[in-house]
Amino acid sequence: MDPSEVEFLAEKEVVKIIPNFSLDKIYLIGGDLGPFNPGLPVDVPVWLALNLKQRQKCRIVPPEWMDVEKLEEIRELERKEDTFTPVPSPYYMELTKLLLNHASDNIPKADEIRTLVKDIWDTRIAKLRLSADSFISQQEAHAKLDNLTLMEINTTRSFLLDTLNCMYKLRSNLQPGASGGKAQDHH
Amino acid sequence: MFCEKAIEIIRELHRMGDGQLPAFNEDGIRQVLEEMKALYEQNQSDVNEAKSEGKSELIPTIKFRHCCLLRNQRCIAAYLYDRLLRIRTLRWEYGSVLPTNIRFHMCAEELEWFNQYKKSLATFMRSLGGEEGLDITQDMKPPKSLYIEVRCLKDHGEFEIDDGTIILLKKNSQHFLPRWKCEQLIRQGVLEHIMS
Amino acid sequence: MSDTLSDDASGGDDGQEDVMTPAELIGKLEEAWLNEKFSPELLENKSEMGECVMEQLTHMEANLQRVRRGDVKASVHRMEIDRIRFVLSSYLRSRLQKIEKFFPHVLEKEKSRVEGDPSFLSPEEFAFAKEYLANTETYLKAVALKHMPPNLQTVDMLKAVPEPCLDSFVFLRVRERQENILVEPETDDQREYVVDLDVDSQHLMRYRAIAPLVSSGAVQLI
Repeated sequence: MDPSEVEFLAEKEVVKIIPNFSLDKIYLIGGDLGPFNPGLPVDVPVWLALNLKQRQKCRIVPPEWMDVEKLEEIRELERKEDTFTPVPSPYYMELTKLLLNHASDNIPKADEIRTLVKDIWDTRIAKLRLSADSFISQQEAHAKLDNLTLMEINTTRSFLLDTLNCMYKLRSNLQPGASGGKAQDHH
Repeated sequence: MFCEKAIEIIRELHRMGDGQLPAFNEDGIRQVLEEMKALYEQNQSDVNEAKSEGKSELIPTIKFRHCCLLRNQRCIAAYLYDRLLRIRTLRWEYGSVLPTNIRFHMCAEELEWFNQYKKSLATFMRSLGGEEGLDITQDMKPPKSLYIEVRCLKDHGEFEIDDGTIILLKKNSQHFLPRWKCEQLIRQGVLEHIMS
Repeated sequence: MSDTLSDDASGGDDGQEDVMTPAELIGKLEEAWLNEKFSPELLENKSEMGECVMEQLTHMEANLQRVRRGDVKASVHRMEIDRIRFVLSSYLRSRLQKIEKFFPHVLEKEKSRVEGDPSFLSPEEFAFAKEYLANTETYLKAVALKHMPPNLQTVDMLKAVPEPCLDSFVFLRVRERQENILVEPETDDQREYVVDLDVDSQHLMRYRAIAPLVSSGAVQLI
């Protein structure tokens, strides 16, 4: 999956904005939005929030978890535990990137937040590498991956799956006649 | 050694890497076909001899030649099929008209296959949904609702953006436009992306 | 403008289907998109769903034609249309790619389908797959096979074209709890065992073990 597609899914997450314009309810195919009144907070998907922000039509209210103290706690916990701890949002990385890149003036302590989220991400990716490594070397057939986000899965997807398929192919070739001479797709 | 030419044409294709289309190796194919013809004729005569004169010692050689024949057939099919997959990808990359230098590398039958593929794909896409169908060779990347700041490098006249607003692209004017609407104009050198 | 658009947002069901809101329809499309993207084999066709989505898009486009240009609302609708059209196109693309990749097997599966069972190919995909096969066979024949010895003038496409590898690993999230899913051993000195799949848990395992759960909607590939 292309990372831009994961970002596309992240853009569906809902975020609060404070508009500076008024507009009736919008009846989108995917559900209703609004009404929009100047100064009154309203929930919209991130794709719309970013667009309105760029057109200077709103201020974005950062998600509750996008807060230095909260993220510090998460970071400490993530470093302490061997397993993956629950993340504040299934798209924490993409949302941080999107909101900080396009609405950093609405997010207090943006730089600190960027660093904290990067730290959390790095810690988790390091754990992911370790567990992928042991999954392969132990020749496991099943792994539970709770709390992993789609973006995290996606960073390891093609490498891990290609490796597993390749090993499967090598192993099944060891068993005489196992594949019955039929060509199989190991993309 | 038998089958060497067949392996050679596959190696040649493999060396080019994914997505590239080398010139169709007509001569290579012809040589493999000639080898097959020779193998087949030798086998025909040996089979007759084995049958009429009971020469069973010929059978291993016959079997060996037959294996070579199968291998040659398989190699040619693999060579041709792999090229088709590359040609198929070109349809998605370049659209329905291929650049001349690429067509130059295709044999007549490949061009025929490509035209038929184009037709099948167009029929399929027309059949999707309403009257106009759906062109699924478009929208390859997720849409971005983002705007970017651009500067106009030359007079381009009126330009309609997606929400229907019409703006005048005048030399040196600056605009805040949806990124996906600008990409083509940036490539054409009409607009330039202002990096802040 | 809001009225014309809201009326049409509920269109698209002909009363025979379970009543599904347009928002639910889009949700289904996104599920099908990810499943099709990550499943090694072609999944059941959902052409009705695709048609409903197209209908929604066409309605919305038509309504937008009547809207005052430059309207903020129109631009929001336009962005949403672009997003939905991307998912639909990407979904149909994933399917078409698999049809092209596995065409002899896809056609074989369709041929051996029992009357009344759900079809894996939409009528349009079926037509496409048949043309693809015929085109490719004609090509191979014309350029090489007809010049080969008489006993070698055909190629068994089912054997020549790789079939989907159902033993591929996939990532999945559980929607409905499942018990006793059998995990086959990887090596001879391992033993098979069963796992329970709790709602919202995520797993990495072979596609073959959970393939029926993907079609039933009990798990979502991610």
